[in-house]
Amino acid sequence: MRYEIRVDGMMSDTLAKAFPELDHVVMSGQTVLYGFVVDEAQLYGLLARCQSLGLHVLEMRQVPG
Amino acid sequence: MESSPTPAGHRVDPLGDPFLRTCFALPARPVTFLPRPRLTRHLDQALRTPLTMVNGAAGAGKTLLVADWAAGLARAPAWLTVESEEKRPGMFWAYFLHALRACGSPVSGQVDRPADANRVSRRMLSAIAEDLEGRSPAVTVVLDEYDRVTVPEVAEQLDFVLQHAGQGLRLVLVTRTEPMLSLHRYRAAGALTEIRNADLAFTPEEAAALLGRHGLSLPVATARALVQRTRGWAAGLRLSALAAQHSPDPETYLKEFEAGRSTVADFLLAEVLKRQPTQTQDLLLRVSVLDRLCPDLANALTGRSDADRILSELCGSNAFVEQLGHSWYRLHPLFGEILRAHLRVRCPGLEPELHRRAARWLRGAGSLRGTLTHGAAAGDWEFTAGALVDDLAIGQFFTGLRSDDLARLFSRMDPGAGGPAADLVRAARDLSQSDLDHGTAHLRHAEARFATGTADPATAQLCCALLEALAARLSGSPARAERAAEAADEVQPGVPSHLLDKHPELPALLLTHLGSARVWAGRFEDARVSLSKVVGSPAGASTLLAREESLGHLALIDYLNGWTDRAEHKALEAVSGTEQCGPFGPAGSGIGRVVLAAVAVDRDELARAEALLDEADGQPGALHDPVTAAGRAMVAARLQLARGNTRAAVEAADPAVSADVASPWADSAETLVTSAAHLAEGRGESAAEVLRQLGDGRPACAVEAARIQLAVGNAGAAIDLLDGVPGARPAGPAVTVRASLVRAQAADASGDAVSARRLVAQALHEARRERLRRPFLDAGRWLRPLLVTAPLNQLAAGWLRPGPSPYGPPAGLGGPPWPIVVEELSAREQDVLERLAQMMSTQEIAADLFVSVNTVKTHLKSLYRKLGVNRRSDAARRGRDLQLL
Repeated sequence: MRYEIRVDGMMSDTLAKAFPELDHVVMSGQTVLYGFVVDEAQLYGLLARCQSLGLHVLEMRQVPG
Repeated sequence: MESSPTPAGHRVDPLGDPFLRTCFALPARPVTFLPRPRLTRHLDQALRTPLTMVNGAAGAGKTLLVADWAAGLARAPAWLTVESEEKRPGMFWAYFLHALRACGSPVSGQVDRPADANRVSRRMLSAIAEDLEGRSPAVTVVLDEYDRVTVPEVAEQLDFVLQHAGQGLRLVLVTRTEPMLSLHRYRAAGALTEIRNADLAFTPEEAAALLGRHGLSLPVATARALVQRTRGWAAGLRLSALAAQHSPDPETYLKEFEAGRSTVADFLLAEVLKRQPTQTQDLLLRVSVLDRLCPDLANALTGRSDADRILSELCGSNAFVEQLGHSWYRLHPLFGEILRAHLRVRCPGLEPELHRRAARWLRGAGSLRGTLTHGAAAGDWEFTAGALVDDLAIGQFFTGLRSDDLARLFSRMDPGAGGPAADLVRAARDLSQSDLDHGTAHLRHAEARFATGTADPATAQLCCALLEALAARLSGSPARAERAAEAADEVQPGVPSHLLDKHPELPALLLTHLGSARVWAGRFEDARVSLSKVVGSPAGASTLLAREESLGHLALIDYLNGWTDRAEHKALEAVSGTEQCGPFGPAGSGIGRVVLAAVAVDRDELARAEALLDEADGQPGALHDPVTAAGRAMVAARLQLARGNTRAAVEAADPAVSADVASPWADSAETLVTSAAHLAEGRGESAAEVLRQLGDGRPACAVEAARIQLAVGNAGAAIDLLDGVPGARPAGPAVTVRASLVRAQAADASGDAVSARRLVAQALHEARRERLRRPFLDAGRWLRPLLVTAPLNQLAAGWLRPGPSPYGPPAGLGGPPWPIVVEELSAREQDVLERLAQMMSTQEIAADLFVSVNTVKTHLKSLYRKLGVNRRSDAARRGRDLQLL
């Protein structure tokens, strides 16, 4: 499953290293983390990680491909 | 501590470790903390509702708010900061109870302590709720970082306790995520106080006041913009204050930050971090791999000696670090995560080295749990395995307390990791899963390394002996087990006594394995010596499983010697310990249930026997040892024989275990079943032929062989067998009753009615107390006429035959005397009986079972006959009495 997680604010490259399994792109005041997610467990883990990094999740969706 | 002696369970958690004191401390508020009366007033409602939830993002200021409120209460609440170890029910409730003790409102000593880290029983939860229910004023319990509880059972259990504790408990959950309690129900009942993220958000006025505490005086307009930018997030405001403090023009600085679009915590943390002195930055990055730290541990990671000063400075300025008390600190969880990301960027590859240093420091400080965690994170397996072995903790692979954790931790072990300790850990892991081949191979590797090494540490040798004894037990090799036990005795004096005190499970497990191997060999008296030592030693969480296994084996010995009642008592004790912890206790071999099933067959409670065997099979991760396998095969075969399924009995009698040496009792059990099956199928010759293979001279065997000999017409051989039974060690009633019946039958056949009657009376007298029905059912047709005539009919009444007994109910475990079910119900009759008990009419039963009304009537008729009743209502009642329903 490919997912993208859109968080508020422009993430620094350093912080993006906290998501080594995902790629990221910064656009118009938001950061999109995207990549392959193995299963739901990993998905929830990623969300929890966003939370513990103080990130504000705006959107999360599965993308085709 | 109390003056009265308390069981060890009060001081240590179910894993046998001391409670982490820092979990129970009310978090200190930093000098810059801003009290917010609107929220503390809101929280005062918590004293009036059973449940309060303070729910907000990381860094929203939840903990400090609740701590501030709690500090102002007239009665100190119980405070528990949940650690990830406590997400398991047993650990959670152990900490919960300890938090009540720590705040001076302990529950009564009558309430059990969780013995198993993974489970608690409903009974214990009821006892806790009952204890709390009587409290006035109510006791308030704060669970901080409740989001770490990810196991649904704990939420369900909390819900249960809260519901049943009535007005005696006020629960405050501080959590990032919404707890899995049925909140809507509390909300609808007005029983919930909620403070959510939006409530926690700082107002512009509060933000201005907070910045003021950091020495920044700002116009409200700036504060308002800052609140907008940070969404009133406490951590964001705090960091912006810290960042602005060091700036020459704080107001302009904050304006620039407001205009930016970077993620708040990320940006601000980097800003604050770069303003710290180099040593401070270095320390913060390095300690980010730790959950909690003290100055000395921090120094071990930095290689300097300035941690004490730096940590107290950081704590004073409320930057990054929180004080836990007892000179321990932790990084604020939010900043810890971000700092780790910085560490990876700034010092790539340093993380494993930091874990390695932490592991070594923690090992020196005596924290095995921390040592293992960091050692594994460092990938330093030789060291990590060495720590486990040197601590003599290898037995924990088998106690059910920490076995899952250890198996998981070491499952990542690099296959190339060398050293005897790593081999021992591999052997323990494999043997705990009954993987004998791999386990033995690793054990041999470890031994080979010992042989080449010069100085063998005694602890490693003792660990090795334990594993060797287990391997010997699993492979049915008594001689090997004896050698392992001797080796253990030899090295034990060299093992530091504090380690032996700390790990009572190791000698207990070793003696259990030795005892089991001796049982296999049929050396019951020797087995009893080692097993009784385990049972006689003080009970504790870590030795629970060894005790149960030992009791189960002792029960088997009693059963095999014919002492049915004694066997049942021990077996019940063996399984009750695990039942306390829920339906699936820590996995032993299931021997206790096998013995209970054997007893049930002797009492002709066949459905119960079958259910017990199923339970014994259903144990996940159960140890596959030959004694249990043979015992199980014996019981299953006897059960099938009792039901008249001779072919199934012969099939079931083969335990299908591969053992190094044969077991006399297991072999003879199989032989006797085979012989009895021949007899039941009318092949007397073959039955007698098979008996010639019998090499076991135990009375139980001789008597059963005599019964078969008599039945096939060899009366002389039968009496010879009985006369040959050694009288030195008296056998139990299950043997003597059968012996009397054989003699009675012989007497009856030879026309000596007086002797036959006397012998049957003797058998009834003995059997009655233990409700031994099976021997009479096996005895054959000759017995029936005797049992219906006085005075024998009175001796049989109430337990063997229907009717009131002039002697009162037979002694035993209490409960109603169960008249015998002469025939088992068929599956269809059972179906009909169940529906009957639900007050269904004959027509309804027919429709429900898709059969005709006439068919149901036929089933009813045979059902009535088998139950000895004439009416539907009596059938249902009798069915209940017989536990068929």
